[in-house]
Amino acid sequence: MHANGDGIPAKVLVTKIGLDGHDRGSRVVAAYLRDAGMEVIYTGPWQQIPAVVALTQEEDVDVVGISSLATDHLIVPKLMRALRDAGLAHVRVVVGGIVPDDEVSMLHENGVSKVFHPGSSREEIVAAVQQLAEQARCERPEI
Amino acid sequence: MSAKPKSVQLPLPGFDSALSTWQRDYASQVGEEPVLHNRSGIEIKPLYTPDDWPASRYMEDLGFPGVAPMTRGIYSSMHRGRTWTQRQLIGYGTPQDYNRRLRKLMDAGVTAVSLIPCNSVYRGYDADEVDIELLGTCGAVVNNVDDMQVCLDEIPIDRVSTAMNDPLPFTLLAFVLGVAKRRGIAWTAITGTSNQSDYISHFVANHMFLRLGLPGNRRVLVDEVDFCQQHVPNWNPVSIVGQHMQQAGATPAQAMAFALCTAIQFAEDCLERGMQANEFLPRFTFFFDISLSFFEEIAKFRAGRRIWARIVRERFKADAGRACRFKFHSQTSGADLTRQQPLNNIARVAVQAMAGIFGGTQSLHTDAYDEVLTTPTEEPSRIAINTQNILREEAHLTDVIDPLGGSYYVETLTSQMEAEIEAVVGQIDALGGMYRAVESGAVQRMIGESALAFQERIENGAQKIVGVNAYQVDESAHVSPASQRPAPGTMENYLQSLQAYKSSRSNKQVQAALSELQRACNTVDKNVFEHIVDAAIAGLTHGEICACLRRELEFGQPLVIV
Amino acid sequence: MTDVAAAVDRLIGGDKATLARALTAVENAYPHAAELLEALRPHTGCARVVGVTGPPGVGKSTLCNALIREWRTRGHRVGVIAVDPSSPLSGGAVLGDRVRMHEHDQDDFVFIRSLAARTNGGGLAASTAGAIVVLDAAGMDCVLIETVGSGQSQVDIAGVAKTTVVVSAPGFGDEVQALKAGILEIADVLVVNKADLPHAEQTARQLRIMLGLRDAQRWQPPVVMTSGHTGQGVDQLAEALQEHHDSIVTDTPAATQTHTVADLLRKLASEDPYVRHLGIEFITGGSGHASVRMRVQPSHISFNGTCHGGALFSLADAAFGLASNSHGVVAAGIDAHITYPRAVKVGDVLTAGAVEETRSRRFATYRVIVTRSDGATVATFTGTVATVGGARPGAPQ
Ligand SMILES: Nc1nc2c(ncn2[C@@H]2O[C@H](COP(=O)(O)OP(=O)(O)OP(=O)(O)O)[C@@H](O)[C@H]2O)c(=O)[nH]1
Ligand SMILES: [Mg+2]
Repeated sequence: MHANGDGIPAKVLVTKIGLDGHDRGSRVVAAYLRDAGMEVIYTGPWQQIPAVVALTQEEDVDVVGISSLATDHLIVPKLMRALRDAGLAHVRVVVGGIVPDDEVSMLHENGVSKVFHPGSSREEIVAAVQQLAEQARCERPEI
Repeated sequence: MSAKPKSVQLPLPGFDSALSTWQRDYASQVGEEPVLHNRSGIEIKPLYTPDDWPASRYMEDLGFPGVAPMTRGIYSSMHRGRTWTQRQLIGYGTPQDYNRRLRKLMDAGVTAVSLIPCNSVYRGYDADEVDIELLGTCGAVVNNVDDMQVCLDEIPIDRVSTAMNDPLPFTLLAFVLGVAKRRGIAWTAITGTSNQSDYISHFVANHMFLRLGLPGNRRVLVDEVDFCQQHVPNWNPVSIVGQHMQQAGATPAQAMAFALCTAIQFAEDCLERGMQANEFLPRFTFFFDISLSFFEEIAKFRAGRRIWARIVRERFKADAGRACRFKFHSQTSGADLTRQQPLNNIARVAVQAMAGIFGGTQSLHTDAYDEVLTTPTEEPSRIAINTQNILREEAHLTDVIDPLGGSYYVETLTSQMEAEIEAVVGQIDALGGMYRAVESGAVQRMIGESALAFQERIENGAQKIVGVNAYQVDESAHVSPASQRPAPGTMENYLQSLQAYKSSRSNKQVQAALSELQRACNTVDKNVFEHIVDAAIAGLTHGEICACLRRELEFGQPLVIV
Repeated sequence: MTDVAAAVDRLIGGDKATLARALTAVENAYPHAAELLEALRPHTGCARVVGVTGPPGVGKSTLCNALIREWRTRGHRVGVIAVDPSSPLSGGAVLGDRVRMHEHDQDDFVFIRSLAARTNGGGLAASTAGAIVVLDAAGMDCVLIETVGSGQSQVDIAGVAKTTVVVSAPGFGDEVQALKAGILEIADVLVVNKADLPHAEQTARQLRIMLGLRDAQRWQPPVVMTSGHTGQGVDQLAEALQEHHDSIVTDTPAATQTHTVADLLRKLASEDPYVRHLGIEFITGGSGHASVRMRVQPSHISFNGTCHGGALFSLADAAFGLASNSHGVVAAGIDAHITYPRAVKVGDVLTAGAVEETRSRRFATYRVIVTRSDGATVATFTGTVATVGGARPGAPQ
């Protein structure tokens, strides 16, 4: 069981922004995280960035996972800005899906913690999300 | 030749004793082995013999190409007479970009037009309603008749078939008809397919778009079939997309079953409208995924052909030979391609394409090897087409019709897949048909479970994938091709031209068409699609038409199931 | 060091981030959670708490979505706690309820929070009760709790909610039958959802028959037919919830007369523009007594930074006015006096209870005590009325 150090499960939002709807990957990842003992909010595709920010805040999640199979990763920088503006800079953001190599660094520069490419294993995803959740918990204001 | 060497004529051993000898030898060599299953869950034995499929079943199971039971193909000449249509789905950038690319591909051997619109179009919006960063990055931005005219510039649309990835409400078809009208081409001369007309598969797989609620979709699809029958008789208004189901995680057998159930649903809806099965069924087409599970895919197609011919005759009592033909386009599966060692994908695509060809496809799209890295770029796209050319011209795969027919394995597997598919069809029937089964989420749940189960096989190593969980190499040095993005300023320019288009229209004409469309939506016996065509010709944009329908026919909400 | 006092100020001032983190603190029983809840208690008591339960898939979340919409059109702020089961194997959970309520994601006056039941910890009731305190203090008018109606959680919800809604739907007969015993005990309102499907009427009839077996008592649960999809019947549901709410705040034993007196007082309060303007809510009343409630708003604050004495006076005076007019004759205040032993802050929830002390043919005197939700007395008030007119039209005898 993958609980945080304090025995409290990591809380993760798995979502899709932009125009594409392919959700096979995000569903599989949501199930992985659940089976690893995390608490997952799963939204389905086509979320507006302000709605993702509202969800992140209301649910007080540690990690936001964005799945992008077309080119929706191109608006992830907008999301990162919106999260920072809402005072949610401690929340870790990961992107999974098809991200061309030459655009990965653009995501990192905008504050994305990790990019998962197709073929990433369950273990790799679970371990990374767990670790990022712990980091987020440490930086998060207590109340 | 000299005289034959003398050979001692030994008596042939009996079948049964030979079989048990082999079984013993096999067991002693292999020992305990895990039971193998294909992706559809069918157990795969090490050897198939006439015990599994006796040639005495030939007429019952196979017959001859072009006639029932259709196993060997839907035309008597199949690929030997006319090869499949080489259809590369493309779309990128502005209408100008698209037209340039299309003409290049046609020079390279592509024989039909296909168009993938930008995801903003899939979602039912004009370019000025979405994030500019996303415009034209995975499809061409086409918002109105002018755009379509540019897309099809110098393309003889009265002679080549035009497939549009054009989900309901079929504005792209409306724009094509608008272009034909401007060019003085009769609509009866227009051929092609509404490639993404299957709203059920879109709803299930959440693939790319969601515009209307299910009831509105149901109505407009029948309207389109009806309209095309009357005005564009050589157009295939329906393409049932088993591919979406399989890409979303359905097993090959499930994907085939869901496609067949969807076709049944659409046919029943058309019948309820008073249309004749013999008239609309010949224009139903299908679209499937070809995974790397080579024999399973071939069996899937052969079984599907057989079941469809039976459904047409038995359920719909349609006797026209054309109605029984299971026409399908197929696409090699992007889900099987890997980011690791991406050139390996060329080999994968070749094998997938062979399965499609041996399965008797009417039309084939081969994926570019960089599809999993980025939106496909030019050289990989050319290699993909040449893969088809090589298989046909150099490997002679088309010399013989249904070359795997009669193989003990392939025939057994075809029958087993058939039974598996029929079982799923029975499940869906019991749920009240496909419409009900997707409305309640039952189909989505089945697909979700299959997706997870397959992923599990990769995780635990039961399914090896070269470069992913086997034969890995250090790839830190590897860099994928530069992603192609619209040049800076291109989309800003496009938005300006859209603005100009909107302000140059006759306001009166636009308003009149819009209120006609509105009225049609709210009048039960009006054909909504007819008014969409009118609206497109009158100058309404894609986004305006979709907005009107969302308002009048109810917006669709995704059904989210984990 | 966690500054609980500062957090409380931010929370009642409407800061969403603090609200979210307070809920996390309560959910995870962080060390400062108890202190926080204690500090929030004075600010609670205004929210009406509605629990929604029923078998999986009857459409609870979809119905909650529609009910939120209805409440929003009535101007209420809504807090939602959506409880989903945790996997007994991994302890993880996919929290899927709020997906069906996504149309409210960007509404500033709706706050939705998903909670995993975390069955191994067994603390669902505790964390839900704590979450209700937090949302109430944050100024929610309505707090909605969705739980899956099976086993323990269903009993839990009746313990924390003031009104429990049990949802069924056509085709869920067996599940409801299985839950029968529990449901009959806890249901205040029964809903047949998916009324857009065939056989809904039949399901409603079955439920009514099952209810017939229940002991006749003060509150007879209505059976409401709704569709979360079309929105049909959701206004009736909101009405039924309102009626139940009124019936529990008017909690004098089954005396029909006081019940109708309470109705009269509620009507008087609702027709009083000044009372409405201040956001004063009628709670209960009967012959010679009445109580009302108010949450202290920023607009009630004086230059000293505490609640203006006039606002407190108005609250006490509202209770005084209602109690003195509870006998069916028109009475008018002629003298009143107030003392304020304690300062009151924004976000505090105050209740004023007026009781008759003396009564003659011409005059009557009343004592009003104003308390904060944590029980502290913040003001005492005495007043005298004179009977000025005849019988009030429509008043019970
Ligand atoms: N026809 C119809 N279907 C409905 C209605 N309300 C919900 N549904 C459908 O019923 C299914 C379950 O709805 P939910 O709202 O998730 O049900 P739930 O009771 O919250 O489910 P759990 O939280 O999993 O216990 C979904 O497919 C809804 O679309 C309704 O009023 N009419
Ligand atoms: Mg729910």
